[in-house]
Amino acid sequence: MDEAPLVEFKDLVVSYGPVQALSGVSGAFPAGPTGLLGPNGAGKTTLLKTLLGFLEPDRGMINAFGLDPTKRPLDVRRRIGYMPEVDCHLPGMTAAAFVAFAGELSGLPRDEAISRAHEVLYYVGLGEARYRTVDTYSTGMKQRVKLAQALVHDPDLLLLDEPTNGLDPAGRDEMLALIRDISERRQMSLILCSHLLRDVEHVCESVIVFNQGRVAASGRIADLTGPRRAVYDVRVKGDPTAFLTDLKDHGCEWREGEDGYRVIMSDGFGPELIFRTARESGVQVRYLRPGAETLEDVFLRALGEEVTR
Amino acid sequence: MPIYEQTYRRHEARGALRRVRFWPITREALRLILARRAFLALLVLAWLPFVARVIQVYVVTRFPEANRILPVDGRLFGDFLVQQTVFSMFVTIFGGAGLIANDLRTGAILVYLSRPLTRRDYVIGKLGVLLALNLSVTLLPGVLLYLIALALAPDQFWTWSLAWLGPAVVLYSLVVSLVMSLIALAVSSLSRSARVAGLSFFGLVFGLEVVRNILRALYHRPETALISFQASLQSLAVALFGLTNRAFTLPWTLPAAMLAAVAVGCLLVLRARVRAVEIVQ
Repeated sequence: MDEAPLVEFKDLVVSYGPVQALSGVSGAFPAGPTGLLGPNGAGKTTLLKTLLGFLEPDRGMINAFGLDPTKRPLDVRRRIGYMPEVDCHLPGMTAAAFVAFAGELSGLPRDEAISRAHEVLYYVGLGEARYRTVDTYSTGMKQRVKLAQALVHDPDLLLLDEPTNGLDPAGRDEMLALIRDISERRQMSLILCSHLLRDVEHVCESVIVFNQGRVAASGRIADLTGPRRAVYDVRVKGDPTAFLTDLKDHGCEWREGEDGYRVIMSDGFGPELIFRTARESGVQVRYLRPGAETLEDVFLRALGEEVTR
Repeated sequence: MPIYEQTYRRHEARGALRRVRFWPITREALRLILARRAFLALLVLAWLPFVARVIQVYVVTRFPEANRILPVDGRLFGDFLVQQTVFSMFVTIFGGAGLIANDLRTGAILVYLSRPLTRRDYVIGKLGVLLALNLSVTLLPGVLLYLIALALAPDQFWTWSLAWLGPAVVLYSLVVSLVMSLIALAVSSLSRSARVAGLSFFGLVFGLEVVRNILRALYHRPETALISFQASLQSLAVALFGLTNRAFTLPWTLPAAMLAAVAVGCLLVLRARVRAVEIVQ
């Protein structure tokens, strides 16, 4: 799937009145699954709005499938399937009618929309329940019907906004498996907007991290979390203040973990630095386990760098 | 016999965008509304005055002396359509209160605006629903009544002096339907609850009529009609059909200007409320 990017944006500035939501961001969503991460107010939603042609940039360019969404929003939108975070259904409508209706709105002929609605509902696991009104569905079923309405017109790019919201662990795994299948077997590109890093890690190959209207990090997850820097989970006995300060002085990063500290070593250093620093700071290392840098580490580091920038 | 796996397949054929993009919106909403038995009962009820007027025309053609107590002339259509305005209001409340309010409540507006549709397509689609419902209780029975009157009493109605009746019926029905539909849609877009929107529409239309009646009782001036949608429409009917009602006798331009201003106001409200930038939450 190493093709030209589906979506590109360059030096993009978007404002709401005096507030700049995107401050000259540049980046690209390649074909395949890409995660879009960032805290609230980071600019993710603004980027999606601009991509769908709802907002006009103050400066810079954005294009999707080689089209400018500000000039040809309908042509862009018909190639995008959007699964919103919030509930969306038409009261009193069965799932089959609702999904077929969504297909028609996307430009499918009526017969084709009906036929595809049934197929897609089977695909997302609602085949048996497709003649029930969506109002009577459980949260998990509503999430699936939202996915079905986004898929019905066979978009080139799927925008999934928090697709596992409100799902129990089993439902969440099923939804992620479905999304993976869409991406891997159906060769559909997708942008997964989520605050659950595990979901993004599970599905996506690349990620773009937004913070404060800027791109804080972007690239392939494998490259971002690769074995470039050693990571250790450490537990110490005694006052850790001096120990942690000394580690920082040596260029290491640390953050509090579940039961101790996660230390990301600076380049070229190994566990001996931890032992030496502990000895010099007067604390006792009670636990030390090598770990791998996760997407969460990348995310938090990116946010930290943005904050200190 | 071939066995197909019920699974997802890619859809290769992507045709051009359809020109009339609002039609599926209108069609599906009408289908949902007309599936309600109570609503069908209301539509049947709204056609009863039509039956009564047909009987009136028939009786007068068979017994011309009845014309003295049941006059059949241009005013018949004006009176009939003013009467139908009340049904038009109820049809609008029950059919239109939830049209946008429900979409806002259930998030369905996302389904529309993230598709290849403009805001205009969405509003026209919803407006089409209310226009269709309103025209079914104003234009349709009005034109049908006119045709029946022409057929039953050609000597009376097939004359140049009454040639304006047909266009007047069409024009008045269109104005009533358009104004009612726009007010209902604008009110519906201001709430997330169909019930609140329905009550607000009811309050707006009948409340202003109550205020008008109070002012009329105090000042005895026909201009008070301009503060009520119902009375403005009635003033227009008086001007169009030559009705004689001093309470509503105004130059036609005044109620027409007032109704035009209301329609523009409603469109501005809709423009402000149905904003795509708000849909990605």
